[in-house]
This record gives sequence, structure tokens and C-alpha cells, in this order.
Amino acid sequence: MLRLLCIFLLAFSVHTTGKTVAPVKVKKAPLVLKMDTAQVNVRHFDSVALKTYSKQPEFQYQEDDGQSAPSWWTRFWRWFWNWLSDLFKPMKLGNHKYSQFVQVLLYILQYLAIGAGLGALVFLGLKMAGIDMLNIFRRKPMGANLPYQESLENIHDINFDDELERAVAQHNYRLAVRLLYLKCLKQLSDADLIKWQIDKTNSAYINELTNPDQRRVFKTLTLQFEYTWYGEFAIDATVFKNINALFMDFKKGIV
Amino acid sequence: MENDFFEQRTDMSRLSQAVDQIKATLAKIIVGQHDSIDLLVAGILADGHILIEGVPGVAKTLTAKLIAKAIDAQYSRIQFTPDLMPSDILGTSVFNPKLTEFEFKQGPIFGNIILIDEINRAPAKTQSALFEVMEEKQVTIDGKTYKMQEPFTVLATQNPVEQEGTYRLPEAQLDRFLFKIEIKYPTLEEEIQIITQQHQQKTSDQLSNLSPVLTAAEIIALRQQVKALHVERKLLEFTAKIVHETRSHKSLYLGGSPRASLAMINAAKALAAIKGRDFVTPDDITYVAAPVLRHRVMLTPDKEMEGLTPDDVIAQIIQKIEIPR
Repeated sequence: MLRLLCIFLLAFSVHTTGKTVAPVKVKKAPLVLKMDTAQVNVRHFDSVALKTYSKQPEFQYQEDDGQSAPSWWTRFWRWFWNWLSDLFKPMKLGNHKYSQFVQVLLYILQYLAIGAGLGALVFLGLKMAGIDMLNIFRRKPMGANLPYQESLENIHDINFDDELERAVAQHNYRLAVRLLYLKCLKQLSDADLIKWQIDKTNSAYINELTNPDQRRVFKTLTLQFEYTWYGEFAIDATVFKNINALFMDFKKGIV
Repeated sequence: MENDFFEQRTDMSRLSQAVDQIKATLAKIIVGQHDSIDLLVAGILADGHILIEGVPGVAKTLTAKLIAKAIDAQYSRIQFTPDLMPSDILGTSVFNPKLTEFEFKQGPIFGNIILIDEINRAPAKTQSALFEVMEEKQVTIDGKTYKMQEPFTVLATQNPVEQEGTYRLPEAQLDRFLFKIEIKYPTLEEEIQIITQQHQQKTSDQLSNLSPVLTAAEIIALRQQVKALHVERKLLEFTAKIVHETRSHKSLYLGGSPRASLAMINAAKALAAIKGRDFVTPDDITYVAAPVLRHRVMLTPDKEMEGLTPDDVIAQIIQKIEIPR
């Protein structure tokens, strides 16, 4: 059906285009010169407004003639951009003529040197700022790095006799037992029976003792200290006297 | 206890007796693993959920089953598989044609001692079903909240994540476990003993003859007793320092949460109770530090590739902090 319609339209168009068209004659109009007779009103610039505008910096179009000296800031940037463009110019070593390969090689070396220099500058900057280079691209840990104070009490710096006397005088027997225990640890450390370290627990010191009798007694002393100090058991003068006696006996056994 | 000077403030006799009974029950079947058993008992007493990890064949499930059997409470077991759905664990509403209404059918999570075997074989969608119940001991379905009965403890077992067909558990879920207990291979002597017991057919007989040593009510009472144990202030600070340090350690990507600090104190109390003390010592805290923190902290990828373990980092942290004394 579509094909038939196409054939019909094609035949019709061929039929219509086959006709000849007669030429049309155009009449030419005569040329007439028309004069502009409108009256012209001449307008003049407002000299006051012109003066005001010419004083504004936005309308100062006159270029610097080079007679006034540039500021240090302008000179610095001029120098910087010159230096930068010089830096990236191909390197010349004397008046020798090099092969193209050598020239390319020199060019690459030049860029490598610039890169190394910039890298060194960045490294120095980060180092001075105290930034860890290894962790710079790593995700930060979730926790905040809050410092905390530790009471790094060195048993070798404590005057035990004085402190003990003071604690007993104040009836602070809990503190007195603590001082007795710390003194005992110092004596063991001085005798090279244990190695004093802040991170060692009491059981670690017990396990360090090689003499079974010493270990057994020290274990009992540790127990008294733990009950008094960590357990916060009430302690009176009589109990302290007994505990003190145990510590004194143990001291005699330390060579 | 070799102590002639101080009288006990708390009666720990029932607790000590119960602990001894549980240990003796487990020791009949389980060879070795003394530390793991101590931690399991401590976990139960501290009202915590426990994750047991180990390669296949090291008696993870058996240990968990034995603990569950030692307690006379409602026990249920869920085998986690990759196609398990949250409703398979929590339960679902089913239409009752007689009453012409929907009624809630409780899932296997409704119990006292829940053994989840191979927990890391199920994907994160299924794991998320456990979030509410593990922390708040309740389940909310169709806008209605169902409370769990006390005691409620989840004992889960898993293979290391390197094993085929396992998923890494979400951090939010790991944080809900009090301990991650790692069960290692037995020593040669222990393995010989295991084989001998099996050869003499002792194990199966003993397993069927096991009877509970504690009731659910007793567990609740013991937990109350453990909660009331004494912790000196310096030890609380010591615990906080350890957990705090995990948050800024350069080898760790994720540190311990405040929940980890609480877990460490609760676990240390339970351990002190097991040892017959009514107060905590630094030894208790350092002992529980690794099992409490090892699943909560995450190593940075480079440290993981170097072969460092969370236990190594935790040991480094403890070494830096002064023992309060």
C-alpha cells in the first residue's frame, strides 16, 4: 500500500515539473534623491561631571611610563617568575653542542633535581612541624591522643624510714604497709633477686624469686599488702605490728 | 587463703564451691585449657557474652555445651549458616486461623544459655538481629518488646576469619562480647590424654552422665555478689588508662570503647571472685586485658600485614603503664 502511494506521488510530481513557466517582466522605479531636513540639536559634555570622573582611579587609563620605581613586592614577584622560568629552561653547560639525546637527559636530570629539592623542602617542613611522615596518608585512629599523667614513683628515691615513721605517727597504717612492701621490693631489687620494672605485677615478682622459701614468704607478704592496699581492709596498730614483724623477718633472709 | 590478719568481708564460700564444681565438671571431659575454662567461668559470673575462637577440632562447641550443661537453665542452640534470616533467630508473627489474629512465635534466642555455633558463617544482616538482644536483653518485633529471662548469656563459637566461608563480624557486635577466648591446639601430652580418654570410651559416658551444678537463680545471685566486689580507685584509673591508650596507639586503627573499660572491670571482679578474693588486684586486670580487648581493637593494615596481633599491641600498652601500688 505504502509502495503504491509512493509511486503515485512520484508520477504526479514528474507530471507537474514537466510544465514550462513563462518569464515575468519587472518594472524598474525611477531613482530620486531624498534630503534629510530634520533639525540637529548639538549636545555638549558636562565638564563638571567629566572632571569628577577623570579623578576616579577606575578611569586612570594612563600606563606607567617606567620612570617611577616599582615596589619591593612587584620586584620580588618579577624576580620569582623570572627565576621560575629560568629554572625550567633547558640546561646549558658552556658553549658545547650536545646531541639531542644528551640534551633530553640533561632536561630530565634538571626536573629530577627540582623535584628532589621540593621534596626535601616538604620533608623538612613536615619534620619541623612534628608530623609523622608514615602516618600522613593513613587514616587517623578513632581515639583522641590525650596525654595522661603517670606517677612514676621510683622506689630507689624514697626515704622509707622517714616516710614509714611519718605514716605510723599519723596512724595511717594502710600507707605504712604499702611503704613496707615497696621497701621490700627495693631490698629484693638491690639484692638482684628481682628486676624492678613499673609494668610488673606483684605475682611477676613472686615468680621471679628462685628460692622456694623466699617465694613462699614473699607471697604471704604480698597477700597482706594486697588486702591492705587494694582490698582497703581496716587495719589497726596491732595488725600493723604483726605485719611489720613479718616484713622484718623476711628482710633478714635477703642476702 | 594464707591470711591470718584480715577477716573476709564477703561470704565467698558458695561462689568458690560453685566455681570448683563447674571446673571439675569441665575437667572430666576437657583436657587442659585451664585458662580458657577460668575465663569461661569468669564470663558467666560477670554477666557477659563469650566468643570462643579456634580452628576446627579444638573442642570449642564441646566446651560451650559443657558450660551450658553445668547450668540448670533453658538451653538452646542455633547453628549459623549463610542463608539464616533474622526471623529464624528472633521469631516471627504467625497467623492463627482459630483466633483470626497474628501471634508471635518465639525464636531460639529466647532462652537462658544460647549456644551460637559458627557465628561468623552468617552475613551481617543476620548478625544485626543479635545487636539489641545482646546489649539490652530484649527483642523488639512489630513494635512490641519482649524481655529475655535472666540469666541470658550468649556463647558463640567461630573459626578464624581466614577460614573458607566465614565473614568478619561487625565491630558493633564484637563489642557486645565480654571475652574473645582463643582456644589453641593442645600440647603433645594433652593430645595423648584426649586420645586415651576417647579410646577408653570415657568421654561419651561422662558427657551423658553430666548433671547441672548451678541453677539459674544461683547464677543470678552469684552475679550480684560479683558486682559488689571492691575495686580500689587507682585500679579503675589503671583500667581506663589501658583502654584509653588503645585509642591513640599507632598500630591500632580502632581502639577500645568505654564499654570495654566496663567489661574489663566486670571481668576482673569475676576473676577475683574465682580466686576467692572480694577485691580486685592489678593481676586480675592485666590477666583479662587481652581477652576483653583483642576483639574490640583493630590493627592498621600495615601492622596486620607485618604479622602483629592485637595481643602483642595490648602487651605493649600494658608494659608502658605503671602498675598502681
